[in-house]
Amino acid sequence: MARYGLLIDATKCTGCMACSIACSHHNQLSTKVDFNRLEFVEKGTYPNVKMEIVPLQCMHCDDPPCALVCPTQATYKRDDGLVLVDANKCIGCYYCIPACPYDARQVNEDRVPEKCRFCIEYLSVGEQPPCSSTCMNEVRLFGDLEDPDSELSKKLGTVSTYQLIPEKGTKPRIYYVKK
Amino acid sequence: MTKMRRRTFLKASAATAVLSAVPLYFNFNDYQKVASEAPINKIPTTCNGCASMCGLFAHIKNDRLWKIEGHPIHLKSRGRLCARGHGMASDLYGKGRVTGPMKRTGEESFEPISWEQAFKEIGEKTKEIVNTHGGNSVMWLEHGVRGKYYADQFLDVIGSSNYVTHYSTCFTSKTNAWQNMVGSSLNGDHENSKYMIFEGRNFAGGIIPHGMNQITKAKEKGAKIIVIDPRYSEIAKIADEWIPIRAGTDLAFRLGLAHVLITENLYDKVFVNKYVEGFDEFWNVNKKYTPEWAAEVSGISADKIREIARELAKNAPESFIEPGWHGLHSHYINSTQTAQMGIVLNALLGNFYKRGGLMPSASIALGSMELPAQFHPEKGPRIDGAGVEGEFLTVETGRGIAQRLPDAIEAGKLKALFVYHFNPLRNAPDPEYQKKIKNAELVVSIPVDWNETSIYAADYILPESYYLERTEAPMNVSGHISHDHPQISLRQQVVKPLYDTKPLLDIMRGISNEMGYSLYDYTVEDQIKAAVEPLGITPERLKQAGTIEFPATVKPGFPESNGKPSCGTFTGKIEFSIDLFRLDGKMGIPTWIPPMVMPNPDIKEEFRLIHGKCPWHSHGVTSNNPELMAITEQYNGTAMWLNTKRANDLGIKNGDTVIVESDIAKKTVKVRVTEFIHPEAVWIPAAYGGFSKKFTTSYNVGVNYNDFIPAMVEPHSGSTMSQEVIVTVRKVAN
Repeated sequence: MARYGLLIDATKCTGCMACSIACSHHNQLSTKVDFNRLEFVEKGTYPNVKMEIVPLQCMHCDDPPCALVCPTQATYKRDDGLVLVDANKCIGCYYCIPACPYDARQVNEDRVPEKCRFCIEYLSVGEQPPCSSTCMNEVRLFGDLEDPDSELSKKLGTVSTYQLIPEKGTKPRIYYVKK
Repeated sequence: MTKMRRRTFLKASAATAVLSAVPLYFNFNDYQKVASEAPINKIPTTCNGCASMCGLFAHIKNDRLWKIEGHPIHLKSRGRLCARGHGMASDLYGKGRVTGPMKRTGEESFEPISWEQAFKEIGEKTKEIVNTHGGNSVMWLEHGVRGKYYADQFLDVIGSSNYVTHYSTCFTSKTNAWQNMVGSSLNGDHENSKYMIFEGRNFAGGIIPHGMNQITKAKEKGAKIIVIDPRYSEIAKIADEWIPIRAGTDLAFRLGLAHVLITENLYDKVFVNKYVEGFDEFWNVNKKYTPEWAAEVSGISADKIREIARELAKNAPESFIEPGWHGLHSHYINSTQTAQMGIVLNALLGNFYKRGGLMPSASIALGSMELPAQFHPEKGPRIDGAGVEGEFLTVETGRGIAQRLPDAIEAGKLKALFVYHFNPLRNAPDPEYQKKIKNAELVVSIPVDWNETSIYAADYILPESYYLERTEAPMNVSGHISHDHPQISLRQQVVKPLYDTKPLLDIMRGISNEMGYSLYDYTVEDQIKAAVEPLGITPERLKQAGTIEFPATVKPGFPESNGKPSCGTFTGKIEFSIDLFRLDGKMGIPTWIPPMVMPNPDIKEEFRLIHGKCPWHSHGVTSNNPELMAITEQYNGTAMWLNTKRANDLGIKNGDTVIVESDIAKKTVKVRVTEFIHPEAVWIPAAYGGFSKKFTTSYNVGVNYNDFIPAMVEPHSGSTMSQEVIVTVRKVAN
């Protein structure tokens, strides 16, 4: 069974937003909804400055708190680790929104708190989802963490990484390259 | 947004006539169902999000565009597209489009008319103007050069020399210098370089996706990237070093670099002796411009200038100063000399036609149709003054001067103006002055949308079909990035036109036929056939592939003929001194010219206004796109950047609204107080300040640098000098 993950090398991100809009088109999101967002952090004092960019989205946690609090199992985790939302089961209680430490939920026009779904139709055939394949700087690399021969696994072996808010114990499956 | 269920989506899609009423989006659950049922047709074409024309595949479901992705072969995209490319595609269904031919009925009001009526009235009026005032009173003004093939036939037959592009508002200092000093343009070989200087060039803002990909790849392999810019631009984010420079002083910095290279014997003497003409003339005049002098002017320390020059030399020829584009090359009175110095420095590094240095973009000769002979009346001098002795002799005639048209109208020289995909009222300096374009006897705008020029100046608006609705003649894929293999690429129709619009060829045929000419007795299919068949390719193959690559035609090595240099100049060498400039009484070699204006350091409200591209907009043309504007809104994209210390001195806080005032305009704008900009300058993004009321998304959002600058002409290359402006910044009183 595949177990999907994502490596983000934000040191290469220049904040062009192509990932965000490619995602929006592929998933036909309204302009109010955004599965990928970037946090821009200015550091330093002129002229010794540095911009840091942190791409943020659903981390497809191994222990997803959003699924834990969902009273109808509208949010559920699949065997391959993807955390998905069944809009037909969602009653709009929005417990999942504050439960997520990464602020990844976005209420769509149907009032369902949606989020990134790792574009499984691409992952399952070994391709990169639109946010990754359109990125000019190759910031994002999706793949199968279980498969030692996947490009992702190989890359993870060569770089040091960190994860966001590990102290929450959610075991996110997005790894960020350390600077 | 109304929720659209699958059934309504399918119903709407089946009836193409009502497609315009269908929103682009259907929600994810609906998408899943539709995607599983409707076949996806992937058709290759080219992007129009900017002028780079990346190759893409359009995904069509139920005759409707769903999304686009980069073409994997096309060398500008190589499978990747930027945000503006994605956004522009969805503007196919956008609200700003013109739905059929329009005729002005009053101030800002129009009535729909038939194409037949439009052709008849425009044809008759143009003919009357040509008969009364001569063909030279007619001008074709366009972004360039998409309409040139058709425009040239029209201008030739009526006897007009007035083909003008938007280039003077964009980059003419660069092309002028390269054409005169080298005879062609080269590009950075980013992929193989070890040391790259991006000075006033934000490759991560004015984006060619594969170009940027090559830059990040080179960095991964260990290349050093230096960004020199008054603003910490997007490419500075991945640079090894950001060096802020006083805006307007890049020429001084470059003269300082040359001084170090020459006095420390770091330049490539073998290359210079063999391939450079005019080295001694250059050096005799510029000996005095030491790094200490350059430091005083530019604010970059002499030590840093020495360090950069030495590092450039150490890595040469696999090092270069990026030849650049809009940044630096239309901004200052010394922009032409700055462009010249880019060539001088690269030549001193000996990096021309070297891997990792500067290399050409390969191209291949496309076939062309044989057109029937026509009578061509004699043409008069250009009315914009480009190439005209006593006016702007040294300005390239193939590009022209776009910004002073109202003068030509007032002088009675310009009577009929055709504007194709250009919006001078928003994208040329001083919109109030540009509005006088309406005083011409006939103004015809050929756009896709209700831009400012159409609304405020056009007598007729003839909408062209959207780029995804039309097929154009194939083109070489070329420019901005180096490559050895020529490519040709085709823009082709991927969906049927939504509205009563036509491709340019049909529009030109309609007008010229009414004038009694039969100039366009061919179809675009004929053009494609004529272009590709000599290459052994069928039109069908090109349509299916979208982009075709040919075996390499470019190899490293300076062009030589019979053992002598032959790079396309008179001497065949890189000419440090430009003959044409001398002929016009100007200096042939670059030397120091101070900027026209400088902010007074004693006045705490004074700044130089600078501008640049934001990565998700292409100046005004994408700004009415709701998705791209949503990004702007989310990330505070319209704010003017102001240095923290200067802001503190003025009592301005982040997010405050301030009054920005130049000699010609006074506007309010929100500020972003930041450490990321030189204290002497304020920066605004180039995309905003729309004033077309038909643009419901972009109307009155942000300000535009063109609001603040008068329509000036740089004397060497004709550019707008768009950063030769001082503004005062004051907090809005509570």
